Order: sequence, then structure tokens, then C-alpha cells
Amino acid sequence: MLTRRDFVLGSGALAVAMTVPWRAEAAADAAAQPPFVTAYLEVSADGSVKLYSPTTEMGQGTHTGHAVIIADELGVDLERVSVVTAEPADPFRRNGQMSSGGSWGVRAWYQPLRKASAQAREVLIAAAAAQWGVPAAECRLERGEVVHAGSQRRQGIGALASAAAALPLPAEPVLRPKSELRYTGRKVPRVDLPAKVRGEPVFASDIERPNMVYACARLSDVFGAELDSFDRESATAVGGVLDVVAVPGGAAVVATNSWAAIRGAEALRIRFKPTPHDKLDSATISRQMRAGLGDGAQPINARADGDWAAAKAAAKRVVAADYEVPYLSHAPMEPWNCTVEFGGDGEVHIWAPVQTQDRNRNAAAAAAGIPADKIRLHTTLLGGGFGRRLGSDGIAAAVVAAKAVKRPVKFFWRREDEFGQGWYRPAQVARLQATLDADGRVTGLHVRTAGPSLSASFSPQGLPAGQLDGSSVSTIRESRYKPAAFHVEWVRVDQPVPMAPWRAVGATQNGYFLECFVDEVARATGRDPYQLRRELLAHDPRALNVIDTVAKASAWGEPLPKGRARGMAFVESYGSLCAEVAEVSLRNGRPFVHRVVCALDCGSIVLPDGVRSQVEGGIVQGLSAVLGEAVNVAAGTAVQRNFDTYPMLRITDAPERIETIIIESGEPMGGVGEPPMPPLAPAVVNALVALTGKPIRELPLTRHRYA
Amino acid sequence: MKITFKVNGESRSLEADPDMPLLWALRDLLGLKGAKYGCGVGACGACTVHVNGRAMRSCAVPLKAVQGDEIRTIEGLGGDHPVQQAWLEEQVPQCGYCQTGQIMQAVALLEKTPQPSSEQIRAGMEGVLCRCGTYPRIEAAVQRAAGAMTTKTEG
Repeated sequence: MLTRRDFVLGSGALAVAMTVPWRAEAAADAAAQPPFVTAYLEVSADGSVKLYSPTTEMGQGTHTGHAVIIADELGVDLERVSVVTAEPADPFRRNGQMSSGGSWGVRAWYQPLRKASAQAREVLIAAAAAQWGVPAAECRLERGEVVHAGSQRRQGIGALASAAAALPLPAEPVLRPKSELRYTGRKVPRVDLPAKVRGEPVFASDIERPNMVYACARLSDVFGAELDSFDRESATAVGGVLDVVAVPGGAAVVATNSWAAIRGAEALRIRFKPTPHDKLDSATISRQMRAGLGDGAQPINARADGDWAAAKAAAKRVVAADYEVPYLSHAPMEPWNCTVEFGGDGEVHIWAPVQTQDRNRNAAAAAAGIPADKIRLHTTLLGGGFGRRLGSDGIAAAVVAAKAVKRPVKFFWRREDEFGQGWYRPAQVARLQATLDADGRVTGLHVRTAGPSLSASFSPQGLPAGQLDGSSVSTIRESRYKPAAFHVEWVRVDQPVPMAPWRAVGATQNGYFLECFVDEVARATGRDPYQLRRELLAHDPRALNVIDTVAKASAWGEPLPKGRARGMAFVESYGSLCAEVAEVSLRNGRPFVHRVVCALDCGSIVLPDGVRSQVEGGIVQGLSAVLGEAVNVAAGTAVQRNFDTYPMLRITDAPERIETIIIESGEPMGGVGEPPMPPLAPAVVNALVALTGKPIRELPLTRHRYA
Repeated sequence: MKITFKVNGESRSLEADPDMPLLWALRDLLGLKGAKYGCGVGACGACTVHVNGRAMRSCAVPLKAVQGDEIRTIEGLGGDHPVQQAWLEEQVPQCGYCQTGQIMQAVALLEKTPQPSSEQIRAGMEGVLCRCGTYPRIEAAVQRAAGAMTTKTEG
């Protein structure tokens, strides 16, 4: 619960909320507080505006998007707006949870933030109009001042905040016309970058508290193995080590500094209980998943357009291919850490890099044995998330350690733990079939994916047997391709490997499956892959526009230097349609991407440069995954434990050029953080297959040799 | 063991484990949080600082190896260094965690090679990983900073 203390304002501050759960509480203490306080923004007496963002800033730029929305609708200079991530409370929740993911950051909060800002603007104007004895309709709010048109009188909003706070909020404020928006749609510098470029301590790992100690985790290698016992003295013999605390998942070695904690954790003699999967390996997982493609498996239906059996019976020809993708690690650059401090007042303060505030607050409360409203969760800027910070697997151990040692504790994982503790993008296999008529036209598509269930592993509720895990078929189930028959199904093959949503989630593997298969069908029928996509999308002008745009911008079909080829892919995810063309050659026997052209129809946008940076990021991260990333399993644990064995893309392998074409179709605003990633892998693979003639059905590309 | 070295021009003495990596001494003992922990094995470059003018992975440099040396960290750049300005002009960072390492690597690269080619930039920046995918903007920012620094020298 948010408390008044979160909104300690200078005298004369105005704060406006759409939902104001703490307003009555504030009124009871009217002498010390302004008359009302709010969720989304406060205007201070000096005219500065503080925005409480419902989103976690993990690099995707939503804090800047939100600041722009507020600056524009309220009518202040962007430099006057500061942003923090709010603590969990109803105004910041969607579907009962405060969480950032699913590329919702701007599209979900665009209208609520505009409305809250317009409400603030209208009462500020009303306060000035009342002071001057003029109609409010004759006043405007511009660049932080209310101006009366007739008399040219003006007053800064800071001086009006107190009077405005006494006025009732308009239920339906009038939003500004587009012509009055100064920042929306323009190149705006991000609000979080100056501090990051100066190297200021903005991350959770940079937090320091008085009397703080450092705790390095020592966790089980085998997924999910429980602690058996440890030899405390084996760690405390290391200079600087103060204590060893049993925590969920293993032990925390507490020391006076990080290095001593790491050395203590490495020296700790620790045993974990056996599990049924102590010998699990990737070959077994692969074999079990592939068995799910066979006749004996029990598929769960996801889409059944038309009559697949009839299409197959009538087919002149059937094209089929099996595909496989590995587990992937999110590998955010900041390894997991958080700082926990038990306060004297019964509250526990936690500074943490999390994407799911409620989930983490609840996990912390359970570990501390106190009600959730006693947990004060301060979300810092995140050193990357990509889905890895949606979980709550890191926080309980930190709370337990801090409670045990009775001092503020910075609890952290080593990079090896970040890789080893899992919560990977699921491994998955797929069998795709297409039926063709005598003219080579696609009459039917049949897709079966098989693999572990992301929801069963990640969702606190799990997934009941027989129920579809939407992510296992996402983007194929909803595909805009419309052959007469289109059948999609999934076979669940559970594995004890923990999984979490990974940037673009199911779209990453499913986009690869379907879009590479479309190219295989095109090759089998001697057609141009772009033209085949045009046939499959002939009924859909919006989708056609996206692939036509990328084809034109990439000069599709025009000659390339020898040794280069193009590949195309089109994937719709998170409300946006995205097509990419990659231009690829082989360099020293390895694929190299010269150029990627991306056409993204995300309806409408707030920050064009923000969109571009997300497109570039999605493309580079997507390229990293397709070129070399894989987490393999051996002896029930991850083989890859650091960047020396998990080959993340370096600048030397980055595309020489990325060109982004944003299509503002006027359709509902779509997501931007995730949609540019899924088309990248199939675009690169399709280019490589066009170049070499050899099909590629297993990722990453390091599994294949190009002599 | 007593270790004495200069950090951003100031002499500092520490009583510490001689095997402690410079990174942890900077962060935990000296309160300089700009260099980041990313891997602990010198493979990601988030901890990059300058030792006697050379870009080094501070997570892999023990304190005993920097006795008497001159260390420069992001805090020593002053905030308006041409490379930092170029980073803002190109709007490079996303999450920002690796960027202090990227900037320190870029400064070292430009001090040695004031007018790097695209290939030299890529080779020079290879050691610093970015998960958000800011490489295209890093390359553009290094180019921009090279231009700015040359103009300044010539001017």
C-alpha cells in the first residue's frame, strides 16, 4: 500500500490522481499535507513536476515516453519533469498486478496518463481564472504558466498548485489537440540517459546503506535441488566473511565486501539433496520433445480453420519440415542483486531491479513473515530485464539473509548463478506441413509444436493438464496467413528446467518455425518468398503494406554483390506488424549480416527515436540468439555459465546498417519493445538458406558448418 | 597489505586483500560505482577502467598489480567529456549498465587512435558486451566523438 509519506510535498503542492485511495487519509492530516495527493504526478511549489510511473525502466525508454505524455498534456517543459517508478498500488496495476512486460509500457498508459495530466491542467487553469476573475475558457496553460489571453497576465503553475488542490477534478477533461503537443512524435532526448552516461549510481547494485554488509549466493547447480547441509567454517575461514545463512535455494555468504563474499561462497563446502533429474541432459530433452511430434503424442488444439484432413487428401504435394530451438538465457548485464534493510518501524525497505512489483513484494513479505504493506519496494533502474526480472526467485533469499544478520544486506548472484539458475526461454520443436494444389498454391497448413510449458514453469498458478499454453503456439495461432485449412496444435513435454518469458516470448521460436517454413514452401514450388507471402496475405491490406514497404526499402529482387543474399520474414506480435529483410554473406566461414531493413506498423507512436532504438535492440539481440546462443543441459544443470561459453553478440558481428521504417497506420497503438525481434532470426536464416541452398532447421547457427 | 595508487588524480591508500580485484576496491572500498560487475572473468567489459592510460577489465586486475599506478574511472571523465557528449547526442544507452565500460573503452580507443575507421572502432570496442543491442549507436557515437575531439584539437 502506498502511504502518505510517499507523497511528502512542499507546501502548496498539487497532486492529481485518477484513483486516489489515500486522499481521505491525507485529508485527516491536512495541516501537514496538501489537500490531496495522487498517483501519477505532483506539481511542486517551484513548478517542477514529478511523475510516478507505473512501469519499470529497464532500458526500453518508457519513463521518457511517460514524461513526454505528461509534459505535452499538462503543458510544461520536459526538463521540469522527473520520473520515478511508483511503489505498488492500485493506480499502477493492470489486471491486479503492477508489472512491466508484454510491450505494454506506452500503449497501456498513454490514455490514463494523458487524462491525469489534463485533469491537473484544468484545475490549475481554473485556479488562475478564479484569482483573476476571468472565464477559464480564456486561459491556457503553456510552458508551465497559465496565461490569460486578453490581459496577458501569467502565473507559474507552482504558485497555483495550492489553490488548484482545493478544486474538484473534472471527470472528463478535454485532451489537447495534436497541434498543441510539443514533444510527441519528435526526437526527444531520454530522461534517464544523462545520469547513465555520467556513471551515476542509478542501479540496484549501486545502492549503499549505512552499516551494510554483502552477501554472495551459493546456489544449487542442479535445477531446483534443495539444500542438504553446509560446513559454515569452510566459508568463515576466509578473511572478511562474517556468517553463512541458509536461504531458499542454498546459502548466502555474508561478508564485509563483495570480494570476500564471493571468495567465501566459492570456498563453502555445501551439499544439495538429490533430485530425479540429476542426470538430465540436452540429448534426452531433445529426444523427448521430438517424440511429441510423433503419432503417439496427445496434441492440444489451438486453431482449426477449414478441413486439414481433406486438404491433405486432396493435395497434389505435401511439404514438411521439423525444427528445433534451444533454451536461451536472458543474460541481462546486471546480475541479480537487491538490498534489504529492516527498519526500526517494522517496515522492510528493499531496493531491487524487478519487473513485477507485486509478485516480488509478496515474495518478500512471505520470506520476512510480515504483511505485504510493510514491504517498501523501491524499484531502481534495471541493468536489463528482457523478461528475467519478471520472476521473484531472487528476493526471498535476500530477505532471509538480512533478517538473520540484522544488518542491511546487499545480496547478489555471480554471473555463473545468473546463467545457472535458469528461467530460460523454452526449448521447443515443431513439425510444419503444407499442402499444395496442382498450381503449387498453398491449400493447407498444419503446425504442431512440442516442448515444455512456459506457463507451467513460470506462472504461480501453473498450467492444468490438457490446457493450452498460449505461448507455445503464439503468432502461429493468430497468423494472418489464411490458407483454406490451417491447423495448429501443441504437445506438452514437461521438463524440470525453469523457464520465464524471454523478450517476445513464444514469438521468438514460433516466428522462426513458420517464417522459415514459408520460405521452404516457396523454394519447393519455385516461387519468390516475398510473392508467396503476398499470396498468403492477399486478403489483408494492412499486412500487405508492411511486407511491400520492407520489400521496396530493401530493394527486394534487385541484384546483390556476389556472395550475398536476402531473406525476408513477417511476424505480428504484441499488437504490431513487423517485417524484416536481412542481407547476409559468409565471412571466414561464419554468417555476417550487412544490412537489416525493418518495417514496423505499430499503429501510432509517441517517441520516434525511442521506437528506432527498440528496433535496433531487438534486431541485435535477435541476431545474437540466432547466431550462437544456446543453454545446454548436462547433469541436471546448465553447461554455459558465463560469457566465455555463452557467445553473446559483440560489436564486430553487429549489422553494418539497420534501417527502420515506422508505419503509423492509425490502428490501435501496438507494442514496440518486442515485435522487432521475432522476424530477425527467420530473415537471417532465410537469407543464409538462399545463399547456401542448405535448409537450416536447428538453431543456433553455430550448429551448422559453412565451409 | 597496503596498496597505494592514484584514482582520478587523487592518491588513495587501502589496507586490503592484495588479490581483491580492482573493481571491488573501487566499488565497495572507495565508493566509486561507475565501473560495473558483469562477469568476473574479464569477458564482458562492464568493469572497464584505465590503468596508466590503458583500458583494463578491473574485475580481472588484482590490487597488488596496480600498486603505484594511475587509475581513471568514468567519474574522472568529468561528465562533459566529448565521448560522453557524443553518447548523449547519439542517444546510445538503453539500460545503461554496460555503458560506463563502453565509454571508458571508447576514450582509450580514441586517445590511441584519434580517427578510427569503422573496422578499428569495431575491433577496439569488441571487448565490451551490450545486451540491449546498442552497438550501431556506439559505433556512431565513437565516430562523432572522434570528429569532435579532432576539431577541438585543431581549433
